[in-house]
Amino acid sequence: MQKIPLTLAKPGMKLAKAVTRDNGMVVMGPGMELTESHLDRLRSMEVDRITVEGNPLEGACCGVDTSAAHRLERLDHLFRRLAGDPWQDEVRGFLNEYLRIKAAEQAARAAAEGK
Amino acid sequence: MDEDLKTSVKGQILSIKDLPTLPKVLDEVSRLVQDPNANTDEIAKIISRDQVLSAKVLKMVNSPVYGFPGRIGTVQHALVLLGFNVVRGIIISTSVFDMMVKAMEGLWEHSLGCALAANVVARAAGLPDPEEYSVAGLLHDLGKVVAAVQMPELHESVSQAVREQDLRWFEAERAVMGFGHDRINAWLARHWNLPGNIREGMSHHHSPETAQLYPDTAAAVHVGDWIVRIYEYGTGGDDQAALLSRKALDMLGLKLADLDRILDEFAGQLAEVSDLDMA
Repeated sequence: MQKIPLTLAKPGMKLAKAVTRDNGMVVMGPGMELTESHLDRLRSMEVDRITVEGNPLEGACCGVDTSAAHRLERLDHLFRRLAGDPWQDEVRGFLNEYLRIKAAEQAARAAAEGK
Repeated sequence: MDEDLKTSVKGQILSIKDLPTLPKVLDEVSRLVQDPNANTDEIAKIISRDQVLSAKVLKMVNSPVYGFPGRIGTVQHALVLLGFNVVRGIIISTSVFDMMVKAMEGLWEHSLGCALAANVVARAAGLPDPEEYSVAGLLHDLGKVVAAVQMPELHESVSQAVREQDLRWFEAERAVMGFGHDRINAWLARHWNLPGNIREGMSHHHSPETAQLYPDTAAAVHVGDWIVRIYEYGTGGDDQAALLSRKALDMLGLKLADLDRILDEFAGQLAEVSDLDMA
């Protein structure tokens, strides 16, 4: 999931979180696939940002890459000075397992959505 | 490092002229809070006089960092729901935002992420008033900012030690200065008269087992700091995993396996806070 500026939103992206007005009223619900007319409507309501599924925008412009696959790749680097300590190895083992399962889950979901 | 040098560094850190100035509102409000006859209406009125400040406070309290369901529309509402300590912590963090962004790139994001993570951890551990943990998380690295502003040469030496010797920031601080930002945090928290739980969260997040009065806060911030570093959201000055303390998990009644749902929750909310700035 990624929070992106409305200016970079494109038809076909799917909302991961509801778009709400300042008073909390829901305008569009999560799961909705955006069309050009939805985007027009959001522009007219002066919505700045929306949260969409996946990570459609690469890079640091739009927040964080929380994808588990990317986290998994970084694990060696992050733990480079902690190897050998049994507890830290256990912690790292836990993260490795957690992120591996998460990455598989995310990949499966992306594949299902891509159909 | 000998005591004399430490005292002189402490003096330098606390020299009033360059310390981030907290809004006058805060003095006024702090006085009112001590007054048993004052009520939240009066306190809210004073804060609300500063419209920019109130807008920032409301933006912050409505973010997932505080995990409060529903929308908080007024400063008074925020005071009633979250309490004065939380609102005060937010006012402090908005006042140092500019300085933080200039002093160390990525530190604001790191702090915000830590605030969110500490909140999620506190909830998972079933602790009351999780918002207070967010505040401690938000302020946990303030000592780094103040050191950067008050002692730029030492700050640069720390940064150099991180780059050249592949140290974590906290290790480099102790190698260069003889003490870390946790110590500076303790001075700052006393100087600003912050409540004990926030003070101990700030000053003991690297060694939660030594916290005397509020080990829960120190432990939740410790785990929060560890989480935000795993996700590399912002940076605390280096790109290494923190040493997760087993004792900190024990103190919170959590097991390694409990981090599953904590990380799920954190990752889910992170996108939501990622554009929260205080400019």
